Amino acid sequence: MRKNVPLFFSPAIILVLLFVVYPILQTLYLSFLSSSGQFVGLNNYSEILSRKAILDLEGFPKGPPLGALIHNAIWILIHLPLSMFSGLALAIVLRDVKGSSIIKSIVFLGMVTPLIVGGIILQYTFTERFGIITAFFDILGVEELSTTWTARANTALFALIFGSVWLWTGFSMIIYSAGLATIPKEYYEAAKIDGTGPLKMFRRITFPLLRPLHIVVITMTILYDLKIFDIVFVATFGGPGNASKVLAFEMWLQAFRFLNFNGAAVIATLLTLLTLVVTIPMIKYTVSR
Amino acid sequence: MATNMEYAISVLVIIAIITSATSVWYVSTVVGDVGRLIDSVADLADETAQLATSVGDVATSVANLATATAQDLTSITSNLTAIAGDLTAIADRVTEVEGTLSPTITVVGPWSGAEMDAFLPILERFETLSGINVKYRVLRAEDLATLLPAQFAAETAPGDVIFMWAWWIGDQAQNGHVLEVTDLIDAADFLPGTFDQVNVTGEVYGGAYTGKVKPGFWYRKSFFAAHGLTPTTVNSTWADFADLLADIAAVQGVVDPIVSGDGVGWPLSDITEHFLTTFGGAQLQYDLIAGTADWTTDPVRSIFEDDLVPTLGNFSLPLTWDSTAINSWWQGDYGLYFMGSWITGMVDNATDLGIITLPGASALVLPADYFFIPAYTENADEAKELFSFLISEEAQRLQTAQGGHIATNINVPDSSYPAIDLMVVQFIQDYAIVPDLDDTIGGEFQTTFWAQLQALWDDPTKLDDVLAEIEAVAP
Repeated sequence: MRKNVPLFFSPAIILVLLFVVYPILQTLYLSFLSSSGQFVGLNNYSEILSRKAILDLEGFPKGPPLGALIHNAIWILIHLPLSMFSGLALAIVLRDVKGSSIIKSIVFLGMVTPLIVGGIILQYTFTERFGIITAFFDILGVEELSTTWTARANTALFALIFGSVWLWTGFSMIIYSAGLATIPKEYYEAAKIDGTGPLKMFRRITFPLLRPLHIVVITMTILYDLKIFDIVFVATFGGPGNASKVLAFEMWLQAFRFLNFNGAAVIATLLTLLTLVVTIPMIKYTVSR
Repeated sequence: MATNMEYAISVLVIIAIITSATSVWYVSTVVGDVGRLIDSVADLADETAQLATSVGDVATSVANLATATAQDLTSITSNLTAIAGDLTAIADRVTEVEGTLSPTITVVGPWSGAEMDAFLPILERFETLSGINVKYRVLRAEDLATLLPAQFAAETAPGDVIFMWAWWIGDQAQNGHVLEVTDLIDAADFLPGTFDQVNVTGEVYGGAYTGKVKPGFWYRKSFFAAHGLTPTTVNSTWADFADLLADIAAVQGVVDPIVSGDGVGWPLSDITEHFLTTFGGAQLQYDLIAGTADWTTDPVRSIFEDDLVPTLGNFSLPLTWDSTAINSWWQGDYGLYFMGSWITGMVDNATDLGIITLPGASALVLPADYFFIPAYTENADEAKELFSFLISEEAQRLQTAQGGHIATNINVPDSSYPAIDLMVVQFIQDYAIVPDLDDTIGGEFQTTFWAQLQALWDDPTKLDDVLAEIEAVAP
């Protein structure tokens, strides 16, 4: 029986080799070639990384555009904690609420909305005279934020990030809701008898016991942030200027607008490396458990 | 006196009589039984005979059935043989007919909905004239840009005639993916410079269908009349134009004098080109396309600094979609809207439209819809036939009659245009026609040009950065 194990695995292994490993290796190989197919070492890497669209250090401290690499980092820095903690807060608040499944379904709608559609919705949300966010700031008298966010270099990226929080919060809420259901109620009852307050219970019981789920939420959110493309494509097309460009969008531009497939392969390789940095610790953690 | 003997004889007689009677009775009974037995035997014999008859019938039936089945099988077999023969004949006939019929060719174009409805009659006319079947498939240039490189790498194509950006056709021609069509074109029949964008080292690789001119700022005659506004003309002064913008801004309910369409940024490039050709002339457009003019030095820089940037305060920020901009402008939220001539098909009442060019304008942009034949078509001859038809006077006359199109073939008579398009055609008579700047250069320049103009609209103080970014990717 044991000698048949490789045989059973072989169909899956062949598919993975053909459709995952081979394209990755081919992309890596392409990133070292010129458009005429000659080996150019790291030239493509230095050319791509020196582009302002990828890294624009002159943008500091003025603000966007700062380059797609920095924009992705900003995206993670803002989007990750916001979506993670809002999802956790919603999961806790709605845990014992009657009919909470309806509210959760509504929150989860953002998660099942196609990102292209989500991009269109958020574009309208942040458009002057048409959007609810701009109308809100108009009422408050904040003129700078009552104009079209996606048409302004200083606000375009943040409009996309805040919009993606709405689209992604449903994911963390559902994960945490499932996690909360696994924590025995006796822990809370014992803590209550000891006179522990709700905040301390959260700090000492809820948050630590959800640790495996934090890993899942953080990893998945970072991966989502790294591969973000659709809403940028629809809502701003990376503009104004380069103010809302991200790596995946720049990769698409290089390949299908500039017909620079070697440059696109460089960005794809960088994205793969960044993804590995995130996923390897998660896999290690999962295996160790 | 009777003796004992006599008694004995009497008893014997009586016994004999009784015995005889009994025997007679018994014999008669037996005879009866025998008679009945004989009857039964006779009945049995009858039944046996009937059974034998039935068995005979059954045997006859079976024999008949066997005969019939054998006959049927023979018949079926012969029928099947006949059918097989017929099918073979039909297949042979189909092959024979296929050999005499032209194949179906596929046209890939960007038009759907009403625009497609206006294009299909031209393809139907070609089918009638040529006997070649044409299938139309909708794919926008943006989608083709993603799809075609992989298809070309696999030496295949989604169509036999494909509408695409001119710069892209030129680029792919250099890689051997496009059929050369120089011999199919007589440039004298077309507007000057029509094929420049698809001309690669002296050989033409694409065709120019009809185009859409970008004549200037559109306004609603009824809006201007209602608010006592007087449209400027090409002969007006710059001060007149500035006054008009101020008057529009003063109209109650107007958000900005001029609306900017589409968040992606391409309408901004059309506005910018109008400023460049107005203040720099047609030659500047050609110089910028050729890369002999610099974006960061005069005259380009001064046109931006002295003319465009001071006007930007009258423009709205780019709105989300063209439809949003058009609706807002049509409702009177804005006074002017810079757009191509296709706008005549996008408003409720095209006769209410008027055009304002910048004072002093001498050239207008007229981008055509370009198409090409991929090198991997299996129907090159038929595709070339369609190619020739699409650039012909007849095809363009039919298309312009549908509205919203301007012919690139100069043999198309004015009488073929609907009234509103004829107004546009007559309007552009006094101007030099130049190719679209970003459509001609394409690639990284086009995307950067759009994005940087968005940045300029957002913050005009970034002019130097914007021009430097554009210059960095210019030819």
